[in-house]
Amino acid sequence: MTFTISPPPHVKSRESVKSVMWGTVAALIPVSLAAIYLFGLPALMVILASVIAAVVTEVIIYWAASQPITAGDGNAVLIGLLLALILPPDIPIWIPIAGSVFAIAVAKYIFGGTGTLIFHPALIGFAFLLAAWPTLLSTASTPHLGSFSDLFLETGAGRLIEVSPALVLLGGAFVLYKRYVDRRVAISATILLIPSMLILGMGWQLPYILTGGFFLGLIFLAADPVTSPVTKRGRLVYGIVLVVLILIQLHFNAYFTGLCFAILLMNAFGPFIDKNTVPTPIGGR
Amino acid sequence: MKIATIKTPDQVIIPLQQHAGAVCNSLVSVGDIVSAGQLIGDGESRIHSSVSGEVTAVSELPHPTGKNVPSVVINIHEGAEKEIEPEELSTGKLRHIIREAGIIEPNGLSTLRTKAEIDTIIINGTNTDDLSSNAALMLDYPAEIVYSLKALMELVGAKKAFIVIELNSEALQVMRTETIPDRNIKVIATPMYYPPGTEDVLVKNVAKKKVPRGSTPEDRGVLVSSIAAMKAIYDAVHGIPMIKKVITVAGAVGSPRNVLVDIGTPIGHVIEECGGCNGTPAKIIVNGAISGTAQYTDQVPVIKTTTGILVQTEKDVNREPPAPCINCAWCVDACPIGLMPHLLYGYADSAEFDRCADLYIDDCIECGLCAYICPSKLPIVQMIRYGKHGIAEAEMEDLS
Ligand code: SF4
Ligand code: SF4
Repeated sequence: MTFTISPPPHVKSRESVKSVMWGTVAALIPVSLAAIYLFGLPALMVILASVIAAVVTEVIIYWAASQPITAGDGNAVLIGLLLALILPPDIPIWIPIAGSVFAIAVAKYIFGGTGTLIFHPALIGFAFLLAAWPTLLSTASTPHLGSFSDLFLETGAGRLIEVSPALVLLGGAFVLYKRYVDRRVAISATILLIPSMLILGMGWQLPYILTGGFFLGLIFLAADPVTSPVTKRGRLVYGIVLVVLILIQLHFNAYFTGLCFAILLMNAFGPFIDKNTVPTPIGGR
Repeated sequence: MKIATIKTPDQVIIPLQQHAGAVCNSLVSVGDIVSAGQLIGDGESRIHSSVSGEVTAVSELPHPTGKNVPSVVINIHEGAEKEIEPEELSTGKLRHIIREAGIIEPNGLSTLRTKAEIDTIIINGTNTDDLSSNAALMLDYPAEIVYSLKALMELVGAKKAFIVIELNSEALQVMRTETIPDRNIKVIATPMYYPPGTEDVLVKNVAKKKVPRGSTPEDRGVLVSSIAAMKAIYDAVHGIPMIKKVITVAGAVGSPRNVLVDIGTPIGHVIEECGGCNGTPAKIIVNGAISGTAQYTDQVPVIKTTTGILVQTEKDVNREPPAPCINCAWCVDACPIGLMPHLLYGYADSAEFDRCADLYIDDCIECGLCAYICPSKLPIVQMIRYGKHGIAEAEMEDLS
């Protein structure tokens, strides 16, 4: 009888890259449906265009580079969906397509793919669109929490993600529970942001951050496992410095775009934070 | 009764190395008649025959660690007297008894290693799904375990002791009840499983003391021992050396359970006695799915450090190809030692051994928790072994 010999472990947890990526996509489905409900067909078109463009770009690039095509792991779908959700609905259809192509081709592929990339591809795609066609990206309205019902359905939403803060939080609770996003980053940033705004006399701006866009930014984008640091201390530092950057942006009345640039800036610091927070093993140095 | 007994095999293979250290000298030769409990190997540790019979070979045979080790093969005599007469010994000589009985902890070390002053004893009673012998022993022998613990505390002069048990274990309540009269013995519930090798982590988490690199828990006045050793001490005090072990048989077998096995019983025999394999076995693992060793033959014996046997069929064997690391940091959170497994993986993979050394690769206890949790299914432990090997080789070159 021959037996298989291999090093331990001899069982692996059921979680895989696939389950992490697709699980995160699933967490964003409710808010996507709400967006389609509120904005109608344009929202659906933006989501489809963005997701399909991301997947097609990924397949073509990896095929052309004769690297294994990993589009099935859900990462491209997730990037496409995240990008679509942070766009306004009434934009030319080529906008999300251009953004997704850029996100995958530049931010993901050129930076070496999942794992080595530094900047969140969806945010890079967004920044690229913002730089290239600033006027096309302006939103019809800026949401802010006026009444309690806005938490569930925000009729003043300017971007897809802004339709329902509650549904974003629901998806966020799921990914936090499953650890598909980093708890330390998301929780430290969220917990710190609100009291520091109150202390700094920015309380009047609170309604502008209790929105879907901010919850998405703090939970899904900033705490994204790939681009946030890996050391335990580093992830806390990351969340804290991020809050400082957000506060600066808020000072200049920059809301969602301010948040996106704050996260991108933190992405750049990620490797530096990791380098300086290497943990001491149990035996000390 | 949680622990089942099984039929003694016709032949046992008793390795002369069942501890971390040099091989013991054989005291018997082919043709000798031995009886159960008789000393057959001596040296850094002591090894006794678990059965009565005739020595048919003393040769190098497969060992659960994967090497071949000098072993004594004993054919059991039909109708031979197997049981040893238990006799009460005085506890005054406990230190001597522990050595004489050849008691070995699951990590391969002996229970009492130094004469250092000890003020705290920690007993690791944690289990995982496929290694539950600690719980079984505590359920079946709570009084015996506490008896030994108290004897050991008295011997080393320890003022307090902790028994660490995982949160949802049945044994938790049993041990709490058992230790009510002893105010200096505390039962601690933990969410974690502490595999052998994490003694320093236990000391840090339970006794709140750091064990610096290069020193041992004993240097900080803490003795870490195990449930298995407590039972063995109880037996030793009653005249029975360490010749039996309670192990967990799990996975694709007819009746998975905890069984009491004579040291030297081939694992194939144990599996047969537990209802045999369900289907064709593809992998047989000794000492647990997460950190255990896959065996190439089912003729390796159960030894003093064995805690379990796991049988996997083809569908249980993980053959998923690894994907690139996604930086999720799950491995960092899982590592009990506080290492950065994903970096060790990456640097070892690209043969940057200096960087591995800078990140304390040698501190890795190869517990496998990082590779278990990794969503990219990276063979982290394999790569870390490669990295350690690379460092060792570089050092050899420096010397020559
Ligand atoms: S095997 Fe992994 S988890 Fe265990 S000590 Fe080594 S690096 Fe840490
Ligand atoms: S768990 Fe695996 S994928 Fe995640 S950081 Fe560690 S090595 Fe990379």
